[in-house]
Amino acid sequence: MSGYQIVTLADLDRIEVPGSPVLRPLRHALGVTAFGVNAYTGDEPGDVVIVGHSEPGGPEELYAVVSGHATFTIGEDTVDAPQGTLVHVPPDTFRAASAAEPGTMVLAVGAKAGEVFAPTGWEDFYVAEGMRQRGDLKSGRAALRDGIARNPAAWQGHYNAACFEALAGDVDAALVHLRRALALNPAEVGRLAGADSDLESLRADRRFAEAIG
Amino acid sequence: MSAIHVDELEAIELDDGFVWRPVRRHFDIRAFGVNAYTALGAGGQIVEEHTEGSLGHEEIYLVLRGRALFTVDGHEHELAAGQLVFVSDPELKRGAVALDADTVVLALGGKPGEAYAVSAWEPMFAAVPLARAGRWDEAIALHVEALADQPDHPSLLYNLACMEARGGRSLDALLHLQRAAELEPRWAERARADEDFASIRSEPGFPT
Repeated sequence: MSGYQIVTLADLDRIEVPGSPVLRPLRHALGVTAFGVNAYTGDEPGDVVIVGHSEPGGPEELYAVVSGHATFTIGEDTVDAPQGTLVHVPPDTFRAASAAEPGTMVLAVGAKAGEVFAPTGWEDFYVAEGMRQRGDLKSGRAALRDGIARNPAAWQGHYNAACFEALAGDVDAALVHLRRALALNPAEVGRLAGADSDLESLRADRRFAEAIG
Repeated sequence: MSAIHVDELEAIELDDGFVWRPVRRHFDIRAFGVNAYTALGAGGQIVEEHTEGSLGHEEIYLVLRGRALFTVDGHEHELAAGQLVFVSDPELKRGAVALDADTVVLALGGKPGEAYAVSAWEPMFAAVPLARAGRWDEAIALHVEALADQPDHPSLLYNLACMEARGGRSLDALLHLQRAAELEPRWAERARADEDFASIRSEPGFPT
């Protein structure tokens, strides 16, 4: 098939990061470039499907309950959302959702009004993490490098690249990314790097101690 | 409230036999295109046969409930709830019929590399029930509002002229029809056989 793809949402990769809902990376899988679109799965009632957050100055988002049944919190309101419910959230409004039935899936669509869509760094990390979880660290490193090329001023991309390079044993590359991340956000990166087990292979290197101070 | 079930959305039956559920308009979303579609029954059209060549959109069609038979670039695919087709090539012809009476398709779209702009077909679709009811002033108002963002959109101008002619605003109809024909001469040819213009066809200045 050229020019179109057929996808079953349930067949997409499951990317599980501690403290976050299970991501189904739809935008990356399809190569959508006009807007953001991903799915989240809650296997059991109570599972978080949309982590609580707002998007100040960022995208407006629409959530569609594809399967199961979800409970949303929008601002201070609770919204009961059976399959087929659509929930629209402006950027500044707090939103969160959890599964109310087994097998709940929520599709999230987002973009910023008046601006050309560009994928954000968090998605690069999730995609890279999914590759790492499948044992394909090489592809994960490449995905993070692609993300840095698109958004070189984001400290998160460099920090995550430092972690992946350290896990791969490339100490020199890891330290370059770590220094760059520190230059962009010294307080947050210094706090994270001090306790991050991903960076364990760097700690014996004097350059690591010099970098984080 | 910022939430609605898809079955509670306005249902606008269009001439091609499918039912438009205007999601973007309901929420006034400005960052991407999104609408839902239903059919009049099993076997009915649910996604009109079309291309996105004029808009350049890439589009996702997600079956939210039931089953649908999609035809994309001449190839048929039966999709069930939770399955989607992503059409990245705007020039590919696509369409779908519902295989179950309660099938719902959610369509998402936007043009890569450009900020989203509301498509001109939306106010035209939204005006259909108003025109059927003879509520010409309201139908005209929808078009005028859309023209504020896209003042030289030929099909919007043409459709507005239709509403104005039907609504007895002959001079406005002539002016808007002339402008549409200036921008795209094919509208003059179409107007000559369009019943909407029966009341003004003999007026001086009617495009020939």
